[in-house]
Amino acid sequence: MPLRNRIAYAFLAPYLLIFATFWLWPIINSFLISFQNTRVNPWRFSLTVNWGRLVADPAFYNALYNTLIILVIQVPVMIALATVMAVLLNSPLLKARPLYRFAFFAPVVVGEVAYAAVFRLMFSIDFGIINKLIGSVGLPPVSWFDNGTAAMALVIIAVTWRWAGYNAIIILAGLQSIPGDVYEAATLDRVGKVQQFFHITLPLLKPIILFCVVLSVIGTMQLFTEPFLITNRGGPGGATETLGLLLYRQGFTSLNFGYASAIAYTIAALAVAISLLNLFIGREAK
Amino acid sequence: MGAKFLGVAVSLALLGSGPAAAQSTDITIWSWNVAASALKSTLEGFNKKYPDIKVTVEDLGNSQVFDKALAACAAGGDGLPDIVTIENFEAEVFWNRFPDCFADLTELGYTPEMQALFPEFKRTELEVDGVAYAMPWDSGPVAVFYRRDFYEKAGVDPSTIKTWDDFLAAGKKVMEANPGTVMAQADFNGDSEWFRMIANEQGCGYFSTDGQSITINQPACVATLEKLKEMKDAGIITAAIWDQKIQANTAGKAASQMYGGWYEGTVRSGSPDLAGKWGVYPMPSLTADGPRAANLGGSSLAISEASENKEAAWKFVEYALTTNEGQVTMLKSFGLVPSLLSAVQDPFVKEPQPYWGGQAVWSDILATLPKIVPARGTAFQADAESIYRAAQTKYFANDYPDAKAALDDAAKQIETATGLPIAE
Repeated sequence: MPLRNRIAYAFLAPYLLIFATFWLWPIINSFLISFQNTRVNPWRFSLTVNWGRLVADPAFYNALYNTLIILVIQVPVMIALATVMAVLLNSPLLKARPLYRFAFFAPVVVGEVAYAAVFRLMFSIDFGIINKLIGSVGLPPVSWFDNGTAAMALVIIAVTWRWAGYNAIIILAGLQSIPGDVYEAATLDRVGKVQQFFHITLPLLKPIILFCVVLSVIGTMQLFTEPFLITNRGGPGGATETLGLLLYRQGFTSLNFGYASAIAYTIAALAVAISLLNLFIGREAK
Repeated sequence: MGAKFLGVAVSLALLGSGPAAAQSTDITIWSWNVAASALKSTLEGFNKKYPDIKVTVEDLGNSQVFDKALAACAAGGDGLPDIVTIENFEAEVFWNRFPDCFADLTELGYTPEMQALFPEFKRTELEVDGVAYAMPWDSGPVAVFYRRDFYEKAGVDPSTIKTWDDFLAAGKKVMEANPGTVMAQADFNGDSEWFRMIANEQGCGYFSTDGQSITINQPACVATLEKLKEMKDAGIITAAIWDQKIQANTAGKAASQMYGGWYEGTVRSGSPDLAGKWGVYPMPSLTADGPRAANLGGSSLAISEASENKEAAWKFVEYALTTNEGQVTMLKSFGLVPSLLSAVQDPFVKEPQPYWGGQAVWSDILATLPKIVPARGTAFQADAESIYRAAQTKYFANDYPDAKAALDDAAKQIETATGLPIAE
C-alpha cells in the first residue's frame, strides 16, 4: 500500500475503530445471537429455537400487521395533508406566514414524552376534551385506550399530528423551487387553479414527495414512542404493538436476546425490501 | 515513573479510606409508588441506629424498576443501585438468567433463624439451591376498598356481598343511586390484575405451582374470565390505569377498587380529604363457599452483587424487613402488609383506623393470609402476561366464541413461547 494511503487510513483509524465496535460488531453479533437459545444458562446454539418461533408466533404476525396497517394508512394520509398544508402556506394571500410555518413545524420540537402525556389527557375517556367535543355533536364517547381499532386510530392521529408539519416544510421548499412563469403561462392559457395543481404542481413535486415518503416509511418501520407512551406499551392487549415494541418487549422485558435479534433482523430485511421498492419507483420516475 | 506515582496514590488512598468510610456511606434504593414512600418512612428510625449510612430512595415507577434492573443485570450489574425492589411474581427471571447479578444474602448475615421469620410461600421464588437472592418484604392479601357513603345511599350492605353475582347486583344499585360513579375499575389495557386476583382466589394461575406446566385454560380460570366479561359488559367495571384509578378515587367517581392490601396506603395518602368515607371488605368469590382470599403483588429487596457497600445495604435491609419496628412503620405510614410473621401480631394491627371510619382494617385484611394459595410467576411471566392480555382484549371484543376458546388459544401461544406443556 502506498504511504499516502497508509497515512490516510491512519487518520481514519479512530473512526473505523468506533464504527467496528459500535456498528459492525453488534450487527454481526446479533446475527449470531439469533441462533442461540438465550433463555437457558449458559446459552445454547440452536438453529430453530428463535427462527422457528418467529415463523409460528402469532405475536410477531400481530406486530407485523399493525406496523403495515400504520404504514398503509398513515403515510399516504400524512403526505397528502402535508402537500395541502404546503400549498396553503405558499399562498400569497396568507398573512403572517412565518408564524404559521413555525406553528406547523412546532410539533417536532416538542419533547415526545410531554406530547404523549398531553395526548393521553386529551383523549381520556371520561375527562378528555376530544370526547367532550364528540359528545357535543351528540355522538357516543369513544374509548380510545380500550378499543383496539380506536387505539390504532389514536396512534395514527398522533404520528400524523407530529410529522405532517415537518413534511409540509420540506414540500414547501420544493414548491418554492417551481418557477412562477410556468403558472403564469398556464393562467394565460386559462387553466384553472385545480387543474394547475394536478398537472403542474404535483408532477414537479414528485421527487420531493417521494423523498418524504421514504423518510416516513423508515420512520414507521421503527415506530416505538407513540404506542409505548400513548397507548400504554402497545395496548390494549397488543392491538397497537409494532415490530419495534415487540423487539423491545422480547429483548428487555422477557430478556430473550436471541429472539429479539431474530426480530431485529426481520425488521432490517423488511426495511431493505421496502427501500428497494422505493428506489425502483424513483428510477421509473426519471 | 507513572507506575511509581500510581503506587503512591494507591497507598495514600488506602491510608485515607479508613476514616472516610467511618464518616458516611451512601446507599441507593430503586423502588416505586407507595413502596418507595414506605421505605423513606423507615429512614428516621434507621438513622437513629446507623447515623453513618445515608440512604437515598429513588421512585422510578414499577415497570421502570423491572426494565432498568434487567438491563443493568444484562450489562453485568453496571448501573445498578445498592438495593433493588423486586416484585415476587416477576422475580424468577432475574435469578434464572443472571445468577451473579445479586448478592447471596446468606453470606451477608441472613441466617436460617432469620429466614424462618418469614412464611414459606413468600420465600419459594427468592431462594434457589440454597442461595437467597432477596428477602421477603410485603405481601398483598386482596380486599375490596369501598366508599361507605356511596354504598349506604344505595342501601347496599357490603357484608351481604359474598359472590361476584352479589357484587354485580350491588354495583347496579350503587351506580343508580350515585349517578356519575362506577362500581369498580380494572386496568384492562395495561394489566391483568382482576383476572389474577379472582383466578388466584379460585386456585388457578398462568402456571402450575411447581412452574412446570401451563394451567391458564383450566376450568377455574375460564370461569374467572367469563365472570369478568359479564361484569364489564354490565358496565359495573370500567377500564382505568393506575393513575386514572387514583384520579377517580379523589374525584368520587369510583365506588370501589380491588387490590392487594398495600392499596390501603394509596387510598389514604391519595385522598386524605375523604377520611371516614372509605371502608374495606373481603373480596367476593365465584361460589358462595369460596375462600375469599387471594394475593396480588408483594415484593422483596435484593442487594446488587456490584454494590460497593453491601454491608451497609445489608444493615438497611435487615433493619427495614426483619425488625417489627421497620415493618410496622411501613404498615402504619403506607399500608404495606408485612410478611414478617411477628409484625402481623403487633398491637397496631388490632387498632381501629380513623381514616377507615374506625374499622380495624388490618385485622380484617390479615385474617385472609392463612387461606392464600401461592401463584407462581416463573421466569416466563412476561411472555405469558402479554399473551394473556391480548387474549383478554380479543375476548372482550367478542373475537372468540367463549372464554374457553380464548384461554385455550392463550395456553397454546404460551406453549409456543415457552416450550412448557399444557396441563391436562
